[in-house]
This record gives sequence, structure tokens and C-alpha cells, in this order.
Amino acid sequence: MKQVWATIVSNSEIIPSHHLLCLEAPDIAADADAGQFITIKCGDSLILRRPISIHQVTDSGYLLLFFQVVGQGTLWLSQRQKGERLDLLGPLGNNFTIEPASRNLLLVAGGIGIAPLAFLAQQALKQNKSPRLLLGARTKELLYPTEYLPPGMEVLVTTEDGSYGTKGMATDILYRHLNWADQILACGPKAMYQTIASLMQQQPARRPVQVSLEVRMGCGLGACFSCSIKTRYGMKQVCKDGPVFNLEEILWQEVKI
Amino acid sequence: MLDLTVQLAPAHPKGLLLANPVMTAAGTFGYGTEYSQVVDLQKLGAVVSKGTTLKPREGNLQPRLIETASGILNSVGLQNIGIDAVIEEKAPVWAQWQVPVIVNIAGETIEEYAQIAAKLEGIAGISGIEVNISCPNIASGGVEFGINPRAAAEVTAAVKSASSLPIMVKLSPNVTDIGEIALAVCKAGADAITLINTMRGMAIDINSRRPSLGNRIGGLSGPAIKPIALYMVYRTAEVVDIPIIGCGGITCAEDALEFLMAGASAIQVGTANLTSPQAALRVLDGIKQFMKKENIQDIKAMVGKARS
Repeated sequence: MKQVWATIVSNSEIIPSHHLLCLEAPDIAADADAGQFITIKCGDSLILRRPISIHQVTDSGYLLLFFQVVGQGTLWLSQRQKGERLDLLGPLGNNFTIEPASRNLLLVAGGIGIAPLAFLAQQALKQNKSPRLLLGARTKELLYPTEYLPPGMEVLVTTEDGSYGTKGMATDILYRHLNWADQILACGPKAMYQTIASLMQQQPARRPVQVSLEVRMGCGLGACFSCSIKTRYGMKQVCKDGPVFNLEEILWQEVKI
Repeated sequence: MLDLTVQLAPAHPKGLLLANPVMTAAGTFGYGTEYSQVVDLQKLGAVVSKGTTLKPREGNLQPRLIETASGILNSVGLQNIGIDAVIEEKAPVWAQWQVPVIVNIAGETIEEYAQIAAKLEGIAGISGIEVNISCPNIASGGVEFGINPRAAAEVTAAVKSASSLPIMVKLSPNVTDIGEIALAVCKAGADAITLINTMRGMAIDINSRRPSLGNRIGGLSGPAIKPIALYMVYRTAEVVDIPIIGCGGITCAEDALEFLMAGASAIQVGTANLTSPQAALRVLDGIKQFMKKENIQDIKAMVGKARS
């Protein structure tokens, strides 16, 4: 974990209200694992740093973030220009775990949930694993542009309105890939995780499922207890013990987003 | 050479001498250990631990935190690992530190406060106790003791008699007259007073038509409460002669200097730690720069300057 000033290399809205931000942050990029996040100080008037998933890293020390504009912090961030510097703290939190014995990794992304999974795909490919991505979006317009994904992975697309790929949600096509998958790694809304959980219950052979949670955070490093949730294994700090959890740990009434 | 030292318990046999007046506030800096990779902890005046109870506490339902205009509302609800785990897991680390650590304690009954204080007797690595009678986020105890002068005095006296450590009492701003409470804890033997804790507040999500916090109400902190905290320090300095530790919305050296001039001997940086882990050390640097610029040798020369 380091606190650094990172210079913006580029910042562009690649789909409506969703930005791809490239930062020069070699110290953080070198340490980062898929599933981890950084926090950014968003201007002088906001108090809480905003947590953002690490989207991809490059060998040249660039850190890529993919974020949706949802409030004041991300709006400020979306307006930053090339050359400006950002106050970054990270990498923070735990990471997705790729089991050594796993070969086939099924990645399930709902909407902005692609953010940490692109990095996971990148790491999986480096380890000669086979990642297969189920990429869901509401419409074709809001679909993450697949040309930004690491090359050499299988991608299956769903849109809720059927404007591209299979009509429906990523979880609607999930059952077809369950037998193939050694592991399932997902990021998306709570409803998506609940669907995955009920699908898994109908399976004779359970697959390990890891998911990433989103909770309002304060410090980002386990000091303030603002993001704590109760799990089957006791209280956990989402910023430090998470954001990645095993699906069976989660108590649904504790997860709001 | 600047003299930044501050004695927070002048009448106590052990005393509580800080190398400088900048402390971190309870609840915003964990057990200090979380920040060791990014903050040079040993440069701080003191670290105040997360509020600690007799038994571990799970705290309140999510959401526990929301940003408001110039402040944050929290309803963490004193989630903590409990005094036994603090003694076993944290104190041995603190014992290796140069920076003094003050353990913030909270109870549901007067007896509990005394029990927690008694457990800290003879534990290496702990320089003082901050008695939290001002947490707005728990169902019983907490702020109840902080709004009634007699109860505040009883808690103070109970902790004093259970402990040989210097005792500071952290007061709630949710009272009619802070001076009355301050005087009561001072008479009951407090070595110092910290003020203020958070102010009760709330926010409502107009889309869901529900309070934004899981606990419905929370405590407001950050720059929004600074003028209130400053007034309360100013008011309290009128009625007590023990050291006051100012706390509430301090984000920069100028804020800290205001508190010193209002009558505080030391200050705590709280919410600003969430904005930047370096906040407290930046406050300290700024104080030093101000002293150099103004040719002030001793920090104590600034305490209460705005009162005359």
C-alpha cells in the first residue's frame, strides 16, 4: 500500500457515463492484484476518498480504471484532464484467488462489474488459464467495448433489451457453462449474485464462486469500520477482508448494493 | 529549537507528556497499526485507539457512513475487538512504539467503564485512557453518560479509582451547556478533557423515503462542526483549569491553531484522516511553520491567546 501522486495519461468516456482513466502509477501497478482497488481524493471539497476497482495494469506501469459516473466524486473524476495529478492510495483490499488446479475460469460481469474482471482475465491469461467472460449490459450502447479487453479470451455477450448478443442477463446463459468451469468469479449487482447462488444450489457438483462486494467506505484500509458487514464467518471489513468474498460467506440481508 | 511538548496530565504522578500537540482522534485511525505503511506514526503527538468496550461489538447495520455538506455522518456503533483482544494483540505492538497510545474506552454501565480501565492496569504500551461518554451511536450507555453532569462525574470517578493512568474524558456536544458537564468531570478528577465528539444528525434518501443510515441517526463530524467545537473549547476553558484537547473538523494547521488559541493544549485530527492518512502530520508541519514565521519558540505560548 502506498500513497502516490499519479499523472493522468488519458481520460475518456468510452460508453455513456462510463470513463476509462489511464494513470501513471508504477508503484501501485507493480503491487496490484485483480480484485483490489485504490482510493482517490476527488477535489478539495469532498471529504471521503472514492474507492475504484483496478481495471487493468500495463507492463509500462500504467494503471487503468473503468468507472461509472454516479455521484459528485466520480463526476469530478470524469472531468479531469490529461496531465493532471491525482492523489491515490493503494492497492487496497484482497484479491480474486485463482486456484492452482483450476484451468477453466468463468468470469461473470454485470454492467460496471467488468471493472475488476478485465484485470483478472489479464492475470489468468498470463498464468496460461482459460478465462471465459460472460459480459452483460442493459443495452448495446452500454456494453463495455470488447476491444479494450485483453486479447485471447472468449467473450459471450448478453444485453437486456436484446440489442446485441443474447437477449437477457449474463446469469441467463450461465447454466450452459457451469460444467465447463472449474471456478466462477463474478462482479455485478446483488441480484446477480443471488441468481448465481440459487443456480449453484441446483447443481450436484458445487463450483467455488468468488464475488466482489461494494459498500460505502471510509478509510479504505480497515481502520474506521464503516464498511463492516456480518458474514457467516463473523464481522468482515469489506475494504480489508474483502472486497472479494466467497459466495457462501454472504448473508444477503447484510448486502445493500 | 521549537518547543512543541505538551503536558496533558500536569497533576498526575505519571503525567502524559506528548512530543507535540497533534493526536489522531478515536475511531478514525483504528489501532494506528493500519496506517503504519503510509504514515510515520512515531512523529505524531499521540495515537488514540478505536473506542473499546468490555466485550467485542458488531456495531450497526449498513449503511454506516454518508458524506454530507462539509462533513460525514457515521453510525458505526462502536464496532471493536473488545478490551481483551486489544491487550493481547495491540498493546504488544504499541509497547514497541515511541509515540504514546491512549486507549479510548466505552461502557454500557459505570461498572463496565471501571472494569475496562482496571484491565488496562500494568499493561505495557498504554499511556493513558480516554473515556468516551459521548458516542451517539449505541443504544445504551455512551452519550447517556455525557449529557448528565452527575452521571458524567460518576463515570469519571469510577475510572479514576480503577486506574493509575492519566484519564481524559471525551465530551459530547449534544448538551445545553458544555461548561456544566466539563466542570463536573473536572471536579470528579479528570486529568484532561477532549471535546468534542460527533453531533447527532441524520440524512434521508428521498428516493427510498428512508433514512440514509442503517441506524437512522448518526454522528456528524468534519469541517461542518468546527465552529461548534471551537466555541465549546472556548467556553470550557472559561470554567476548567485542566488541559483541553480540541477536536472537531480540524483539517489543517490553521484550524489547529484556532483551537490552541481558544484554549486547547492539544488537538485531535479525526475525519481528515479519512481524506488523507497524512492529514495529522501535515497539521503538525503547518504548526511548526507558523511558529517559525511568527517567531514563537514554545507552543504553550499560543494556548488561550484569543481569550485575553
